[in-house]
Amino acid sequence: MKTIPMHLNVNGEDYHIMVKPNQVLLDVLRDDLELTGTKEGCGLGKCGACTVLLDKRPVHSCLVLALQADGCEITTIEGIGGKQLHPLQESFVEKGAIQCGFCTPGMITTAKALLDENPNPSEEDIKLAIAGNLCRCTGYHKIVDAIHSCTCESLKASKEGRDD
Amino acid sequence: MRIRPFDFKVADSLADALKQLDQTGPDARLIAGGTDLVLNLKKKTVQPKVIISLHLLKDLECIEEKNDVIHIGALAKHADLAIHPILEKHASILCQAVGLIGSWQIRNAGTIGGNICNASPAADSAPPLLVLDADVVVAGLKGDRIIPVTSFFTGPGQTVMEPNEILKEIRFKPSVNPSAGCYLKLRRRKAVDISLVGVAFQAQTDATGKNIEKVGIALGGVAPTPIRVPEAESCFKGISIDKAFEKIKLCAQASVEAAKPIDDLRASADYKRTIVNVFVQRCAQQVLTELKIPMLKKIEGDL
Repeated sequence: MKTIPMHLNVNGEDYHIMVKPNQVLLDVLRDDLELTGTKEGCGLGKCGACTVLLDKRPVHSCLVLALQADGCEITTIEGIGGKQLHPLQESFVEKGAIQCGFCTPGMITTAKALLDENPNPSEEDIKLAIAGNLCRCTGYHKIVDAIHSCTCESLKASKEGRDD
Repeated sequence: MRIRPFDFKVADSLADALKQLDQTGPDARLIAGGTDLVLNLKKKTVQPKVIISLHLLKDLECIEEKNDVIHIGALAKHADLAIHPILEKHASILCQAVGLIGSWQIRNAGTIGGNICNASPAADSAPPLLVLDADVVVAGLKGDRIIPVTSFFTGPGQTVMEPNEILKEIRFKPSVNPSAGCYLKLRRRKAVDISLVGVAFQAQTDATGKNIEKVGIALGGVAPTPIRVPEAESCFKGISIDKAFEKIKLCAQASVEAAKPIDDLRASADYKRTIVNVFVQRCAQQVLTELKIPMLKKIEGDL
């Protein structure tokens, strides 16, 4: 099968790569770009472990043919936060929202997209947003808590609390 | 999970897509959002030699109102439809239904055209389009065909479209009189689940806002295709909203009789019939109440 050239901007960096038509975006990210933070769970668009942001919107990278993302901007877990942890990542650690950690990259990328779109989601909004991300360890409460403590209002409240 | 090799082509216009599709013949498949096709490629239930991608046809993602007709491009994504102001105003039932499809990730990739062409008997976007009296516009090499959604589906996974045609647009005329709609979906989990039964109920009043002018009821998941149930709709013909409340049970019974569910892995036919009965009643109750509120407000104002 012949390979086809394509361009991706992943986490702010440009990549000009050759891919096979039958590669999904997840394969390209993990195997070709060696960005192995994004996980493959079910490979069938049911578990959300492979969630990345495609032009700022969360999608299952296991169900996107890589060539369909030609020219798109991708954010993976490696692109959230830099040398320091992103507040969401810090909050996941602090609240114990990570156990085995397999769902975490997908959870955090989905949560990042939610907070970018709506800085003050309700608990219900959060649950709805991460409905497509399965976690078999935490029972979700700690994950919802962790995301909730990163909303604008929670961050403001905790800052004021510290000032007292 | 491996996908068998295939050739990948990108269409740069609808005309180009039609030409490529016609040239490649039955070995080609079109890809829009890919949430169904890529899954089927992985399961190897479809093995096309060529896949033609429509991802560059941005003009088919458009949702707009032109000359009192609402046009929805076939590539409009569920996530965009679910919160679109024009649709929220004129066809909230469609927003409700597509908002229940899959997960946020699926709604960000899946398109309404894909949902319709995939022709699942349980497709969530179908019952609302049926009750909105929508038409689909199908493009072919010889020109466009306009097909009412009511005669679009022919069986599970089957439609009246020819293999070399492409669904271009879905359109409908919104009601000028007060209208309301409700879609209820039965599923075993709160999210990311196929509907066992889907019920769409849309009603509009006459210009006075007191009498029912038109009712549309459609069912998903209980027949080989999504269906309209005219027998149930006729219960409300030309009566006042108040009288309509008395007909709800009769209408639900007529809907149950029109449904032809089968026993399957997810639920028994009997259970699905019971759910049709309950959901039609709940939908009707909600829609009629919604239509009645402005009337009550008007009476209060008059007093």
